[in-house]
Amino acid sequence: MNLLDQFFILIAVALLSITVLRNFRINDKMAPLWYGLMVVMLVRMAAVAYDGATLTSAFNIEILGFNMHWQFNALSWFFAIITVVAALASAIFMSGDWGRQYRELYEGQGGNYGLLQLALILNVASMLLLLASGDLLSLFIGWEFVSWASFLMMVLMPSKTAKKAAVKYVVYAMFGAMALLAALAIIYSNSVSFSGSLEFEQITQVFAGMDKGPQFSLALLFFIAFAIKMGLLPFHLWQAVAYAETPGPGAAFLGAISSRMGLFAMIIVIIQFIGLGHLQGMSIGLPFINMQTLLAWIAALTTIIPTYIALQQHDAKRLLAWHGVGQGGYMLLGLIMFDSIGSAGGLMHVLNHASYQAALFLTVVAVVYRTGTSDLNKLGGLVTQMPLSFLVMLIGIIGLAGLPPMNGFVSKWMVYRSLLLNGEPLLFVAAVLGTLGTILSVYKLIHNTFLGQLRVEHQNIREVPWSMMVPMLGLSAIVFITGFMPGLILPWIASVQETIGLPVIIHHLGGIEYAKGGLDMIWVSGILFYGFGVGALIFYFLGSKAKRVHQYDNYAGGHFLSADVKYHYSNNFYPGLMHLIGDWYRGSFKWMEQVIVSALSFVSKLFENMYRSRQPVMLLVIVVVVALFSIYKNTAGVSS
Amino acid sequence: MKKELLIKEKQAKRTNPLAHVFDDFIDFCQSKSLFMLHYCTGCGAIELPPAMTSRFDMERLGIQPMVTPRQADILLVTGYVSVKTLKRVILTYEQMQAPKYVIGICSCTVNGGMYWQSYATAKKLNDYMPVDVYIAGCMPRPEAVLEGLQRLKENIKNDRKQQKGSAWKEYFANYDTYLGNQQHLFGDDWQTPVDIIAEAKLYGLEGEGTYGKNTEKLAKVQQPLLPQEMKL
Amino acid sequence: MNGLHILSELLLMPLIAFVVGLMMVLMMRKISARIQRRIGPPFFQPIYDIVKLYGKDTQISHGLIHDIGIIMAVGGYIGAEILLPVPGMEGIADKGGIITLSYFLMIPSLGMALGVGQCANPNGSIGISRALTSMLAYDVPFIIVVFGAAWHYQSTSLVGMIEYQQMNSWGIVEMPFLATAGLFALQGMLGKQPFEIYIAPAEIATGPMVEMSGKYMGGLFVMQTFQLYTAGVLYASLFLGGGESWLSLLPKAFLVVAIPMSIAFMFPRYKTEDVIRILWKWPVMLALIGLAFIL
Repeated sequence: MNLLDQFFILIAVALLSITVLRNFRINDKMAPLWYGLMVVMLVRMAAVAYDGATLTSAFNIEILGFNMHWQFNALSWFFAIITVVAALASAIFMSGDWGRQYRELYEGQGGNYGLLQLALILNVASMLLLLASGDLLSLFIGWEFVSWASFLMMVLMPSKTAKKAAVKYVVYAMFGAMALLAALAIIYSNSVSFSGSLEFEQITQVFAGMDKGPQFSLALLFFIAFAIKMGLLPFHLWQAVAYAETPGPGAAFLGAISSRMGLFAMIIVIIQFIGLGHLQGMSIGLPFINMQTLLAWIAALTTIIPTYIALQQHDAKRLLAWHGVGQGGYMLLGLIMFDSIGSAGGLMHVLNHASYQAALFLTVVAVVYRTGTSDLNKLGGLVTQMPLSFLVMLIGIIGLAGLPPMNGFVSKWMVYRSLLLNGEPLLFVAAVLGTLGTILSVYKLIHNTFLGQLRVEHQNIREVPWSMMVPMLGLSAIVFITGFMPGLILPWIASVQETIGLPVIIHHLGGIEYAKGGLDMIWVSGILFYGFGVGALIFYFLGSKAKRVHQYDNYAGGHFLSADVKYHYSNNFYPGLMHLIGDWYRGSFKWMEQVIVSALSFVSKLFENMYRSRQPVMLLVIVVVVALFSIYKNTAGVSS
Repeated sequence: MKKELLIKEKQAKRTNPLAHVFDDFIDFCQSKSLFMLHYCTGCGAIELPPAMTSRFDMERLGIQPMVTPRQADILLVTGYVSVKTLKRVILTYEQMQAPKYVIGICSCTVNGGMYWQSYATAKKLNDYMPVDVYIAGCMPRPEAVLEGLQRLKENIKNDRKQQKGSAWKEYFANYDTYLGNQQHLFGDDWQTPVDIIAEAKLYGLEGEGTYGKNTEKLAKVQQPLLPQEMKL
Repeated sequence: MNGLHILSELLLMPLIAFVVGLMMVLMMRKISARIQRRIGPPFFQPIYDIVKLYGKDTQISHGLIHDIGIIMAVGGYIGAEILLPVPGMEGIADKGGIITLSYFLMIPSLGMALGVGQCANPNGSIGISRALTSMLAYDVPFIIVVFGAAWHYQSTSLVGMIEYQQMNSWGIVEMPFLATAGLFALQGMLGKQPFEIYIAPAEIATGPMVEMSGKYMGGLFVMQTFQLYTAGVLYASLFLGGGESWLSLLPKAFLVVAIPMSIAFMFPRYKTEDVIRILWKWPVMLALIGLAFIL
């Protein structure tokens, strides 16, 4: 029994324990412990991450001649550690006062705290099962589990929008699963050496033996399946609302890592087994547009469009969820470059994004916990009341915006560097446009929540309790430390690159080594903090001390400010920009979605009407005619 | 008498001989760089554009216009001050950061000028805030405005020696008197969001006249606006 | 590169930047005065202003974030100056590079934005909203220019770029379109007319600076000196061959800063949406043409 088997047993035990004990208070204390144990197990498996070895589980199933087996390599480990740490943070967060409040508010109205705990462990277990999949069939099974586990989590908020978003998600997910199944069927029926297996290696073989047309459709099916989970364009519509409406810590977990399962599958299938050669070989229409450029542009547009949709949101959770969709684009954009720096950037962004996204979501949930709203037009000035939450959000938004010295900068820097090296100016501009939009909208987020005028009704609220603060601070520490010393996780990235057959990055503790312009974050952060230090010296040692004033002691053109004057500038924060680009938000994708929905419902109504028609005899006649026709046709074929 | 005391006190504070050099240097820079906020209450404001632009060019004297009281050193009140306006002028003055100077331009600020008989006009500006320089005239020409500004600069430069440029300290040291005049005009519930007494305490600017019966009256009606402290 | 060298770079580079920046501020004010047929401020005016602001007896703060905002604004620029290679001092600058530097330069703006946010003054918030919008406007052409330069010199290190130019010819000769677009973006980056909607003194009371008094305002004045210096030296390093010595670098830097200043004081300002419109149209077009030539 190797470490992987022990790990699976641990997951099974944890699942069982939480299922049984979920309605007892003891579970609150035990659930984080299980995730902690999982982290410990993963650390014990760290050899996988550093040496690039593969652990194969002794457990395998033989069904209908297919051998389903599970294994852990550097790639799985990398995603697994992110998953488990995100789950740990969420579990600690919801174990204390947050859970109590959730029970008080929602229990009996459709919310169920025990079910939320169960949903979390189910998500973790199914994701780990997916990450450990050793062949296409086990990948498919894990895929289905993940979809339904996320659905369970999404419906735990008793609101109509939440239910609607969850159903929408399931429809999308089922469509994706069908696409994956179809792709599997194609692989199976086209496999050259008919060995009856669905090993990953079959993909390469099948691709090599195919013409351009079928190759394209197969790649497209895979892409649809994975892009839906990841929320890539044009399948980005389901994700943000569904995640935003998930109960607090659940949203943090889903937003951090859940949709990255799509990226994981994409890395295996498209990057590792289809490979650069085939992608470049598939030209579409014009010779210079091949599958690689197409994917790169999809990624680039995914960074831009959802980011600018986020800019329009006035609900903090939705704003963050839309950014989650947008940041997925950077990961694919880096990976699709197929070089050492770009793919390292893309992979690293998975971890970085998970850390700051979870921190940001938890901060917003903390604000909701205290104020009862995440509407950005109804908050403001909370920094004096909740300074630590402010700090976490500050670190988080610097990470999300990709500014030094946080970890988001490192991964984005690598993506930019790779685009520079590959001579992709337009993609580069697209990536930067995404970043700039992010800066705009995260400033709006922090300004409207924590800065500006404090509302009268919020004057007595306090910082959230430590059970919520600790995971937030822990996540922001990860954001900072991996930004300061990216070399801590770059070895993992390097062995992932080795595993999936990409060029391996040369790294050191501070960043990456590259002949014509590398990056050393220790120096960069050092210089930044040196600058801040000198700035602080200048500030505190020169000049007299400043008098702290109340915010009503403020310049308002001679006007006397008082509590009844609401002057917080929050609604429509970027009017100038919106004057210009406001008309560009046409909702084309929404419109397209609605067209498909109404077309489908029309067809289904048609069939329904036929089925329920007054003359059942007609149905019988149709069935008989069709049956007779098919019999006739088949027998005719046989006789000739 | 009081001024001498102040001087002595200040000298007693600084034992380092170089400290005077430093103080003088700061005073010198303060006199060389003046940001002014013009509170254009009346017709006198029309004389400022020529004083600022190419004909007379205030910037060569180191004086430039600023927009908010926080940034400004000089408050220019350029005309008659009605009771309603005076509230805003006082708020603006209190929001300025010391050292701060007030210049009353036009006769109206000196004695009400042609509005002497108006029931709604505050007659003497220096009843309500310490005025450093008056520039009389109806209206004073730009030359006169510049002359007044030059006078103010001289005062500031010799601040440490003669205590001429420290009229703003009067406001803290005799707050009770000024507040009394303000209350007389605006009623007993008069207050601004700026807590002058706290400021005087913080910077050690209290004098004998800071507290009195008027400040007691204020303390009764005042809803103190304490800064929001960060709390964990 | 020994410890002493590093220490001297850490201390001297911001100091030189400050002194040169002061002269640039003076130059800016002199240019504006001359264009308006005035005499303008005396030679030491920038110093008087800063000393006076730091020498204020009383000043207000709206809270800790207000203070930290100013520290970040000044400190971020001090850091940025160290990443900007100048003659004789390029040891640490080599650790960064153009991408790092362009993102580094957003830190002071972010710091200022945070500080202004805590002032809870709507004028300030409007100013920041406009400032960020115009950042979005000028960064698009700027980033194309950065891409073009990095691609042309095949390096993201500013030191490498300067070496290339000193061995071959200046960037402005080889990439005239990109250089022009860069100058255009510089105008927006310095926030000078016609792109100074976020200051707009008569409309939103100097926007971000509205609640800044005493040393807070002084910090912003210091920041302005750094900003001008950075703009001048960065542009000179990208397109004008940097400098073999200070004697050749400084005239270039002053020249670069003088151009936007001379343009600035002849214009009123554009509305926010027009700032975006104009910056996304002409300089982007120029930059793309320039890019087409070098790719």
